[in-house]
Amino acid sequence: MNIALLSHEWLVLLLGLGLLLADLWLPPAARRKLGYVAALGVAAILLYSILFVRLPAGGVEYAFGRMYILDSLALFFKRFFLLAALAVLLMSVEFAAEIQSGLTEYYALTLFALAGMLFACSANDFTLLFVSLELITISFYILTSFQRARTLSLEAGVKYLIIGALSTSFTVFGIALVYGTSGKLNFQDLAAVAPQLIGNKLFLFGLLWVMVGLGFKIAAFPFQIWAPDVYQGAPSPTTAFLAIGSKAAGFALVLRVLFTAVPAITAQWSHLLIVISAVTILYGNLCALPQRNVKRLLGYSSIAHAGYMLLGVAALSAAGQSAILYYLSGYLFTVLAAFTVICLVMRHAEGEDISRLAGLNQRSPLLAAAMALAMVSLAGVPPMAGFFGKFLLFKAALAQGATQHGYYWLVGIAILGVVISLYYYFGVIRAIYWPGNAPDPSPIPVSRPILLSIYACVAGMFFLGLYPNPVVTLTSKAASALQAETAAIHATATLPKAPRAAWTRSLLGPASAAPSRP
Amino acid sequence: MNPDFLAWIILFLPLVAAGLITLYFLPQRKVSAGLSTGAVIIGFVLSVIFVSWAGWQPAIRESAATWLAVGPLHVAFGLRFDPLSLLMILVVTGVASAIHVYSWGYMHEDPGFSRFFACLSLFTFSMLGIVLANNFIELFIFWELVGVSSYLLISFWHERPSAADAGKKAFLANRLGDFGFLLGILIVWSSLGSLNFGVLQDRLSAHAGALGSLATIAGLLIFCGAMGKSAQFPLHVWLPDAMEGPTPVSALIHAATMVAAGVYMLCRVSFLLDASALEVIGWVGGFTALLSAVIAVQQDDIKRILAYSTLSQLGYMMMAVGLGGDSQAMFHLSTHAFFKALLFLGSGSVILALHHEQNIWKMGGLRRQMPVTFWTFLAATFALSGVPPFSGFYSKDSIFAQATARHSYGLLVLGLAVAVLTAFYMFRLVFVVFLGSSRSPACDHAQESPPVVLWPLRLLAVFSIIGGYIGIEQVYEKQFGAAGAGHPLWQQLLAPFREAPIGAVLGILAAVLGFAGAYKLYSNVAKDPLPDKLGALSRAMANRFYFDELYQATVIRLHDALASIADWIDRWIIDGFCVGLARGGTDLTGRALRLLQTGNLQTYAFLFALGAALVLYLVLGK
Repeated sequence: MNIALLSHEWLVLLLGLGLLLADLWLPPAARRKLGYVAALGVAAILLYSILFVRLPAGGVEYAFGRMYILDSLALFFKRFFLLAALAVLLMSVEFAAEIQSGLTEYYALTLFALAGMLFACSANDFTLLFVSLELITISFYILTSFQRARTLSLEAGVKYLIIGALSTSFTVFGIALVYGTSGKLNFQDLAAVAPQLIGNKLFLFGLLWVMVGLGFKIAAFPFQIWAPDVYQGAPSPTTAFLAIGSKAAGFALVLRVLFTAVPAITAQWSHLLIVISAVTILYGNLCALPQRNVKRLLGYSSIAHAGYMLLGVAALSAAGQSAILYYLSGYLFTVLAAFTVICLVMRHAEGEDISRLAGLNQRSPLLAAAMALAMVSLAGVPPMAGFFGKFLLFKAALAQGATQHGYYWLVGIAILGVVISLYYYFGVIRAIYWPGNAPDPSPIPVSRPILLSIYACVAGMFFLGLYPNPVVTLTSKAASALQAETAAIHATATLPKAPRAAWTRSLLGPASAAPSRP
Repeated sequence: MNPDFLAWIILFLPLVAAGLITLYFLPQRKVSAGLSTGAVIIGFVLSVIFVSWAGWQPAIRESAATWLAVGPLHVAFGLRFDPLSLLMILVVTGVASAIHVYSWGYMHEDPGFSRFFACLSLFTFSMLGIVLANNFIELFIFWELVGVSSYLLISFWHERPSAADAGKKAFLANRLGDFGFLLGILIVWSSLGSLNFGVLQDRLSAHAGALGSLATIAGLLIFCGAMGKSAQFPLHVWLPDAMEGPTPVSALIHAATMVAAGVYMLCRVSFLLDASALEVIGWVGGFTALLSAVIAVQQDDIKRILAYSTLSQLGYMMMAVGLGGDSQAMFHLSTHAFFKALLFLGSGSVILALHHEQNIWKMGGLRRQMPVTFWTFLAATFALSGVPPFSGFYSKDSIFAQATARHSYGLLVLGLAVAVLTAFYMFRLVFVVFLGSSRSPACDHAQESPPVVLWPLRLLAVFSIIGGYIGIEQVYEKQFGAAGAGHPLWQQLLAPFREAPIGAVLGILAAVLGFAGAYKLYSNVAKDPLPDKLGALSRAMANRFYFDELYQATVIRLHDALASIADWIDRWIIDGFCVGLARGGTDLTGRALRLLQTGNLQTYAFLFALGAALVLYLVLGK
């Protein structure tokens, strides 16, 4: 086993533990600055990843008896999460005044959630899938209710905890059923036997239960119910991390399970995926219409965006998977820009009503422009990133239209959703620029690191919208890893398995010994 | 190392300057002007380096970056290098450099100084984009960008209603032409399957009839775009009004570059135009040339005279394109860029000295107070009138020679008539403005402009004089075949007389005739004698043959009627019924769905489980 393979995860965990240790000796006043240390550390890891981490010639490496995989898809997501965490940590420093106690824990938990995401995108086994999901979710339970004096935050935490626990129970049950019917936990092993299990209802039942748990993570219909309340109640940086990191981790796992573990079965599910995608888009957009609270509005909008990305899953093609990754990249910059602005404008305010944005144009033209651009990008108007992402997703779905007409309907509904969404996104822009009574006309101070972060987000939105080719190349390479593995599995299905490490055998002993059931 | 990276720098430098000025340097006037001017001068220097490094026909004809590649869809963003584009970037950056420097002096007092330079840089970027584009889509994008930046610059003094209206008019007239242009592009795309100029040319040369029966229509639709940008009849009405913009803008956009874009584009895609389309283009050009030359004779505003003269010269270029003389058209375009920019800058110098007086009948005798302006203006006038050895003579003569060679005597006669009129109205202008005696007290106190204004004049004057025999035409001939061997300078000086003596002699005669007429009528007069002699015709000429009124009465009235009908439909049927119903429905659904979100945890958990059951049913229930 190769420890160096897991360098991202080790480094992030060490950073988190280091922060907790440092907290013991630092005076309370200095703790706020620890956020910068955490951000710097994450930036260094990101830099290290980009400069030094290279895939081997074959493009794939395994660890822990093939539980853990490092391929171009995993690497893409790792860098994605590191970037997201970097911006979220900078945001947290700005938000520090709102957190009464345990600030360092707040930073450290964010890092632990990040470690969970880093593991999740490398999961090649239902065990690691479950453990990493729990690492993410449990960190978020605490992060969500971190503003202990705020009832809304506590309420959100409790709701997230209970619905989350419910969804976890579905996942565990599902994994147990999958294991019980197939005898496999490893994705590639499963892929080899899955074609024989297409008719096995118990197996399908288990898979669907796993998908329920993942549907909860990405907030797809009908498992979206928690999202608005939690988005509204959580501290703003946590909401941002939830919207981008947690959702992306969910999508990474959805892609792995559907397209690496059980591609043969996924191919039968196009109908289900089309319906879920369409309903998710409509539900998110329609519910966002009457909202007045910006964070709640973005909560509903995040449901709609999950729907758009499911459109790429439903397309069942490499183009669709690549489009999801592209869309996520654009969504990263857009959501981070929007939440950074919300975090800065509304940190001292009770309730994030849209009217609080009034007069922002006078208070800080930069923040006003960044928020407006983010809304334009979310709405999918060229030349911003959101437009191009949607273009790629729709294109991928339309390419499948010849096989099933449902795809045409799906794209039609998605376009309808975009039209509906224009209304509420531009409502936000109107609130910013239309002359209204600013509740607090004082200019908003913007610190230098956060300024950099905003500039980077705006630049990212423009870059992805104006010059898509470099990132398209990157995402299609990452998505092709998914296909390549599937192909490799089919080719090597008959080869004997690699011997497992001793400790894995003791952990999964009976399973690896048990013959697969018919 | 490939020299093509230089071209990318040349193209994007002005954009960077425009972006930096808009974002950061609006309050710092000097920095803004420095950035903008620096970008274009560096662009010019790099263009010279590029040409001397790679030659007129670089080994690498195209430099493309993939803008997007998804599956079979492949969109490239590329630059094309050939004699046509290389000489044009030299002309564009060269003339633009002179005009940027001039603007320091001319716009000095203006509060919108920085904004002006930002717009100027944006324009330079767009124009370079048109010149370097290697496919139709890219060309079209920059084409529209030129339209936008010209709109911004014409209505630069937007607080004046006339300037705002002129900007709008220019934009709309251009859009009208562009609609046809876009249709033409789509026809080409659908029938030839590519938009890259090189690929198109290869396909057409391999299979001449590839466009089939659509050839003429496609050619004419593409010509529509050129008609808008190059202000050809009947879309010519916007150009004179565009003189509401600051004078450097008139010089850069409405003389040297933007209006030339139409001619340039036609030369770029001349392989697409078939004989009947060329016939139409030639006659439209000839008619525009004559019409606007006649109008120019009776204008009193110094910039409007030059504007109509520009129209008329553009007509010449179109005529040359129609006669199949692409290199002649481009030759005239290049020399015209120098002397017309010079004329506009000279008129700007006069206008500045007279505190924004533009009526020529309130000027006079300025030769003494403004010697540099006078002599450079005179040089440009000689060039425009086609007097040897000034540059205009050579380029104009090459067009006459082309008409003779094609036995197109109708157009030749038209061209000669326009040449007479050109000399006539230009010398009228010189006699009235610079010679004679002063007609207003302002003229007596006029002072020569500062050096920052005069140096660009001197520089452009040099090129206006020698532009005809420094090998410009030979470079274009490399592009369009039939490249003659290079001649020594003295041979080029006399080339017109040797190669096309009839055209040359007739051209000189026309210029002399026009000069004699102007001398007889306008040397030392207090007011215009022509209105008394010509009566109603003169009034029609002064009123531009009532084209604006005609459009007002027909096109615009029809348009207003259609608009009010559309407004009614939009207001009552679409907005009231369709949108109202859809909005009401959507709103209601949104509110109904909100009821699901009770905030009650038990309900949430129940709904969650219900959802799981639903998914199970969808997959396993059937």
